[in-house]
Amino acid sequence: MKRIPFFILFAGLLSAPLVALAHAHLEQSDPANDSTLTTVPDHFMLMFSESAHLTALTLQKDGDAAPQKIAGLPKEASEHFSIPAPKLTAGVYTLRFRNVATDDNHITAGTIKFTVAATARPAAPGGK
Amino acid sequence: MKPDLLSVIIRALGFVALFQAAGAAFFLATFGESLACARTPIRRVALSSAALGAILILAHLGLDAARLSGDFEGLWDEDLQRLAWTSRSGISQMVQALGLVAVLAGLWKPGRSHARWASAGGVIAVGGFLITGHTSTHALRAVLGPLLALHLLVVAFWFGALVPLAVVIRLEPRTTAAEVLKRFSVIAGWLVPLILVAGLTMAWLLTGSLSVLAKPYGELLLAKLAGFGLLMVLAAYNKWRLTPAFEQARSESSLRRSMAAEYVLIVAVLSVTAVLTAFYSPE
Repeated sequence: MKRIPFFILFAGLLSAPLVALAHAHLEQSDPANDSTLTTVPDHFMLMFSESAHLTALTLQKDGDAAPQKIAGLPKEASEHFSIPAPKLTAGVYTLRFRNVATDDNHITAGTIKFTVAATARPAAPGGK
Repeated sequence: MKPDLLSVIIRALGFVALFQAAGAAFFLATFGESLACARTPIRRVALSSAALGAILILAHLGLDAARLSGDFEGLWDEDLQRLAWTSRSGISQMVQALGLVAVLAGLWKPGRSHARWASAGGVIAVGGFLITGHTSTHALRAVLGPLLALHLLVVAFWFGALVPLAVVIRLEPRTTAAEVLKRFSVIAGWLVPLILVAGLTMAWLLTGSLSVLAKPYGELLLAKLAGFGLLMVLAAYNKWRLTPAFEQARSESSLRRSMAAEYVLIVAVLSVTAVLTAFYSPE
């Protein structure tokens, strides 16, 4: 019982300088989940609820044996990521991401499923 | 096996080893002076669990890079390893490991004053949990931090005492063992309810509503609460029935069996906590 005030002081000292936030959830994406695209995307856009490091991004087309790793992810933390997409053809795709929130370091994984329509046109030059 | 699964298994084992090491050090600092035969074996329990705990915690930290990439190739990714080791979670785990090294250093030589230093190491190891996680990032962290510290230190004191108590029952004369059991029972009777008080207050402050009970985070909290409820029944049975029976030289094996059941239940609750804190958010 004598130690409790010391424990509380210790805990208070450790917790005092910390900041307040939580996991980085996906708030918005382009392509959106379950969307069918009539224009072939040349970028993937991911927006999270708070600042995070995007640590993994893979793309898998239905029927492919293994997912394709998307390299060159930004090293800096952000709420908003725009990543160049590989060349896509018509089909159903699954985009998988992993991020780690900068404040509490929780790792969040997520999936976005989208379809590139058979009639989809290429993206306009310079478009995102 | 996926990195997430391996990581959470190592995390749960690391929790068990850390709380065992810290709690055995607290036990030696509190009761060590009364012990003649059991002190050395308990010291060995603390030393081996501190060494194992430090290894498991560092292994878990190394695996974080694989979790970040979603596959084991991440282990060799320098950027992801740097991100893992320099993050607040990385610092938290290094403080936990450092605390366990202090337990090792404190108990390397026998003696009560050394056990006090080892206890300080136990406090540092447990304190490492305060650096990261939901409680550290919440707006009410000034309240949640001390509550978490209290919650975890009492868990360490309780859980970490079970193996030492079994050793005491086996090796010490019955009068000494009965005296230690009685003293532990009095202290635990005051401290253990604080686990529930601190835990429920933290759960309320973190979740803010009962709707969380329908989510995985809330379901796992309920599982922890159910485990704690069972533990209270066992602890009450030990205190009111088995400990007095042991004092009167009637029962030893049933007390040891009951304490073993307590140990297994606490390991289960710690494993649920490892899953809860690794994968789920109260939001």
